[in-house]
Parts: sequence; structure tokens; C-alpha cells
Amino acid sequence: MTADDVRAIRVEAVESLLVEKGLVDSAVVDRIVEHYENNVGPLNGAKVVARAWTDPAFRERLLANGTKAVAELGFGGPEGSMIVAIENTPEVHNVVVCTLCSCYPWPVLGLPPTWYKSAEYRSRMVAEPRKLLGEMGLDVPATKKVRVWDSSAEARYLVVPERPAGTEALGAEELASLVSRDSMIGVAVAKEPTP
Amino acid sequence: MTTWADMGGRAEFYGRVLHDPDEPAFHADWERRVFGCTVFAAGVLNPTGPDLDSARWAMEQIPREDYLAPYYWRWLRGLELQLEEKHWLQPGEVEARIDGKPGLPGGRRVRKIQTAMASAAMGLILRPTIPRFMAAHLMPRLIGGRRTTMRRPRFKVGDAVRVRPERAAGHTRQPGYTTGKPGTVVGNSGAARFSDARAAGRRSRPQYVYTVAFDGRDLWGEAAEPDTEVRIELFESYLEAR
Repeated sequence: MTADDVRAIRVEAVESLLVEKGLVDSAVVDRIVEHYENNVGPLNGAKVVARAWTDPAFRERLLANGTKAVAELGFGGPEGSMIVAIENTPEVHNVVVCTLCSCYPWPVLGLPPTWYKSAEYRSRMVAEPRKLLGEMGLDVPATKKVRVWDSSAEARYLVVPERPAGTEALGAEELASLVSRDSMIGVAVAKEPTP
Repeated sequence: MTTWADMGGRAEFYGRVLHDPDEPAFHADWERRVFGCTVFAAGVLNPTGPDLDSARWAMEQIPREDYLAPYYWRWLRGLELQLEEKHWLQPGEVEARIDGKPGLPGGRRVRKIQTAMASAAMGLILRPTIPRFMAAHLMPRLIGGRRTTMRRPRFKVGDAVRVRPERAAGHTRQPGYTTGKPGTVVGNSGAARFSDARAAGRRSRPQYVYTVAFDGRDLWGEAAEPDTEVRIELFESYLEAR
């Protein structure tokens, strides 16, 4: 039996006990899982970013109150009580980590990937962000400040990457396709449009 | 006090980040079940909003090898610990179930109406989009930790502060790497329920939460990379004027 089999058996036992005690309804658990696998993901955040790139008034509202602004697009709920949008600029690159656990803005990015929750990422990002970003494929120029946001309380940060050059003619959907999950955590920048 | 969950800047955890830009949310079905069961049980047990502080504290108390196992194992072991402490699960009950032994007699059970109410509440948010007013106003009030207070904030934007020299025993949102370090207040997020107290089951007044900026050199000295800064939200009682 693999370690994963042992875990699966224990989880099954716990779930069956919780169902008997009324602490869980398995059919609703199915729906919760389905929701977080299919309804909620980085595409939500990409829509928010694309809107901020094209609508200056929305960008202002997003930077002033992230939760209210993303609610305009219908996004909100658990881990979204205080969404804070932080904008990358030519002077500052922003990147997000949670050193104490795994805080992450679920309504706009979905559930966090394993690497974000790993001991390696959590320990290193606050102490050697340039080196770690470089290993992850992003060399931040020495002329730019690196600002690391450690999510420790209510705020859940959404990085608004810089809009790539040559995207003036693109529509909202095409712009959103340039915005990856990594770019909204801050370990990448927005993709260049394919000519 | 240090716990292994307090990882920031701890070289013992350093290593290569196994980064996959397209990684899915779950890697095995048991992870799905743990996630869904934990979210649901939190809704049943805390109808006034999930108690993430107690959930995090439970995860900080499980054995290190459980904490460092594949991610959702931490949630399962934390959930089991919380349920045992509140006598929803009896010691040995899970093992007995795995071994196929008959269930232990007695034990608490949730009233059917409570389970049904939690199901109904879940149904409201399990939609691709939710109504704007609900997302902007109702949900943050129902499940968020922010609270109002009549007290005046001790610090204002621009104030020079220092994180208190000791980290609390028990659950705290004061990372070890900021402890004793000088920083500058750059924002006031308003007041919120105090995590340290809630995790310990203590009543406590809401506290202001400030965003504090730390220069890399103040945190890491000579080892700091050039032109780096860490910003973090800290409760008022973690901070001293300097």
C-alpha cells in the first residue's frame, strides 16, 4: 500500500464518521469540490486585471477597495473578505507569500497551487525574493524595488501585473488570456501577445 | 516560541521550489474530500463564520511529519484534532472505523436542522458568480474577521514602530522574522477580531491591524538583497512605538 492509499483510507473513515454525526453532507461536499475545481480559478482574476487595464475608473475602484470592485464582476465569498489589489509599476514589482500558513485570494485565483504552500516558497520569498524569482524564471531588474507582501491577517493580495506593450488593440478576452495565475501572485509578468 | 509553521526566513526549510505554472487544485481524490469536508464542517460548527484561527492553531499542533506531508493531510489532521477537542470525535474512533470495528457508543451528533442549514448556506455561494451586494457587503460581514471598535488607533501612517521582542506562545500572527524588527506603518486596515485570543478560545476586544513596511536590511542585515521590502499586516498589540 502506498502512502497515498493509507491517506485515502483514513480520509474515507473520517468522512463516514462525520456524515453519521451530521457534521458533513457528502452530496454538498461533492458540490463544494466541484465549485472550487470548475467555477473558481485564475480566470476570474484575469478578467479583473483585463478590466483594470482597459477601464481607468474600474482600476481606481479596484485599487481603492478590491473586495467591492471584484464584486462588480460577481466574485466574492470565502477568503475574499478583504481583497487588496496591488499594482506593479516600472518602479516596483510586487509578489505575494504567506509565511505562516497559506492565505490566498480564493475568489479571484481559486485554490492555491502546492508550490505556493511549500516550505521552500514560504521560507525563502521574504528573505531572498530576487534569487527565488530568478529561479522561477523572473529576473527583476536591479532598477526595480521588490516588494513582498506576507499575508498574515485579513488582506488577501491580488497583484495587477503591468500591461504588456503592443496590446492596445486587444479586447478584454484576449487581454485576460495574457494574465496567468503566476502573474497575479507576482512570480511572473503578463505574457506578451503572440503577433 | 517558534513553531515550524512560522517559516519565513528559516534556512532549514530552504530548497528548490517545485514550481508548475499549470498545477491543478487537487492531486488525488482524498484531497478533494478533505477540502470539502473541512469547509462543510466549519460551516456546521461555526454558523456565525468559520473559525480559521482555531483551525490554523490546530494545524500548528499536529506532528511535524503530518504538517510537512502533502498539503491537505495537514487539514485532515487539524480537523481531527479540533473535533476531538470539542468531543465530536472520540480518541481512537477513526482507527476503529479503519479496522472495521463497530462504532463507539455515545458521542455528540449535530441536529438535522443544523446540517440542513449549513447545506442551504453553502448553496448560496456555490455559484459561478454571486450577487454584487452579497459579495461586497454581506459575505465580508458574515465570514470576515473585521469588527468595529470605538477606540482610537494607537498608530498612524508614517509612524516608526518596532515589533515587540517576544512572540506569543500559542497561536499568533506575528511571524518570527519580524519579531523585534523596526518598520514603518504604511496603512491602517481597520479593526479585526484578534486571532491570538480567538484561537485560544479567549474573548478579546477587536484590535486595529496595520500594514507595516520593513526594509530588507532591517530584517536580514548584510544578507539582505538590494532594494527589497516586506509588507505585512500586524495587530496593534504586536507593535511598539520607536
